[in-house]
Amino acid sequence: MESNAIEIRNLSKSFRGMYALDDLNMTVPVGAIYGFIGENGSGKSTTEKLICGHLVPNGGEIKLFGRDYRDAGVRVRVGALIENAGCFPGSSVWNNLMMQAINLNLENPEEEIRRVLKIVRMEDSASIKFKSCSLGMKQRIGIAMALLGDPALLILDEPINGLDTDGMRIMREILVDITQKYSTTVLISSHILGELEKIATHYGIIRQGKMIQEISAKEMESRARVFVSVKTKDMKGAEAVLKAKFDNVREEDEYLRVYDMDDTESIVEYLIKSGHVVSEIKKNKIGLEEYYIELMSGTAARKEEE
Amino acid sequence: MEKARELKFESPDFIQRLKGMLGVDFYRLFHTPMYYIFLAIAAIIPAMILGMTSIENAEGVVAPLYTNTWQIVAAETPLYVVSDIAEYANMNMVFIFGGIMVSIFIGHDYKSGYVKQLFTTHAKKQDYMMSKALVGAFSMACMCITYLLGGVIAGLLVGASFEVNVISLIFAVLGKMVMSLGWASLYTFLNIIFRRYFGISIASSFFFGTGILIIGVAAIIGNNSALNIFLYGSSVYACLSATAVSFIICLAVSIIWSIIYTVLGTKILSKSDVY
Repeated sequence: MESNAIEIRNLSKSFRGMYALDDLNMTVPVGAIYGFIGENGSGKSTTEKLICGHLVPNGGEIKLFGRDYRDAGVRVRVGALIENAGCFPGSSVWNNLMMQAINLNLENPEEEIRRVLKIVRMEDSASIKFKSCSLGMKQRIGIAMALLGDPALLILDEPINGLDTDGMRIMREILVDITQKYSTTVLISSHILGELEKIATHYGIIRQGKMIQEISAKEMESRARVFVSVKTKDMKGAEAVLKAKFDNVREEDEYLRVYDMDDTESIVEYLIKSGHVVSEIKKNKIGLEEYYIELMSGTAARKEEE
Repeated sequence: MEKARELKFESPDFIQRLKGMLGVDFYRLFHTPMYYIFLAIAAIIPAMILGMTSIENAEGVVAPLYTNTWQIVAAETPLYVVSDIAEYANMNMVFIFGGIMVSIFIGHDYKSGYVKQLFTTHAKKQDYMMSKALVGAFSMACMCITYLLGGVIAGLLVGASFEVNVISLIFAVLGKMVMSLGWASLYTFLNIIFRRYFGISIASSFFFGTGILIIGVAAIIGNNSALNIFLYGSSVYACLSATAVSFIICLAVSIIWSIIYTVLGTKILSKSDVY
């Protein structure tokens, strides 16, 4: 069995001479929820559109489950939600799904539509016209469309953008359901790193059309730095005292952070001995967002040095 | 948990792929009011023309533009050069309505974003070209029928003559119906070229649908049967003096142009970004 759902080698794409993707390499293992992260215009959507065959690459190779991405057999097993649901606004949710079911030559379209509507928690909304649906519903319909025909690979471009907290939670639950029950590989791009962190098993970080880093969630977890956040009445004084004892102390977000340290008791004891009253202290670990920011600032600094 | 399932990738054959794409397009066609509106337009226009040109003018004189009901369906002889509206306004107008309908139909694919779903699951771009051409041809063939019905009803109402060589009339109508395939392929091709510009797509379909280019050429070279190699030429050739040969020529010209436009459109879609 093929171990990678997506394998991209040296992929390039330019628009009017400007390179949106430049020698991009990417590997998405089968069964992964691959969080695709990058700034606006970094090339996430372009990569996804290329995988779906919407754009023609300038060079490079895309393989899906070990086959060329233009192979008709593999492409009927790809579901995508790129930019919007791609539904006819004047048609009902049911009719839109039915069109996609017919497009995929599904044997029992009605049954299949009911199945995907259940997955996206929209069993009672089939008769509503697409244009009357809320943004959250539209995104869920887009996912339902992509889920028709039991896709082996799901490509989702910013599916949680613009959703409220409840919408995000539902979307998260749906995605976890899909991967756990159907072993579908999911490639998901998003700016909302906090949400992505809750579901992704792998990450790909892209910048200016190049893959900066690919890392599994487990690897990131093991690499993530721990730190202790402290709040005192005299922050300046406490900072000086802590800096005298610990190597990496910084003031961030109204807290003093002591990096690579998780022994809160010794910090409290040390600060008290130095005459400082600790009003708040907690152990932390760097999350995806901070990891991303650090990685980006590090890359930017290296680029400047070069 | 069903996690251990095995991934299978079976390539659908050409028939399966086309069936899927055609299925979507026909489902859409029958579920959209636009199709029925165009069928009604195709019926109303000949009735209006026949009716309005058969009533008394301001001086109280009746000077009908058409002396026979079937002239609203096709000209008596193949007239590539037109000197008055009666020689021009016949069933060929269906190809103008059809052009606008195909443009709107394809335009909605792009406007709604549904085209992304189609091209994600259909790796072969020819599926799209062929399906749109066939659905467009079917719609125009249906419009030919409603046009015929509209003309006949109006003819009965205004009391126009129905005298005709029935065999020629049948070949003329069938000839025009088979021309729908060539026209639909042309419109699909034009809409693929101008897929990012909806307005230009409609304008170009209208422009080519009027046959103005062939009429212009005919004005220079005269009523030359060589013009039958073009879609408009063959459409005119399906007239009230049509024979089986005329029908075969229409069929051949329509199929050949359909293949040419489908191949060209497929090449464009395969070599360039789809939206």
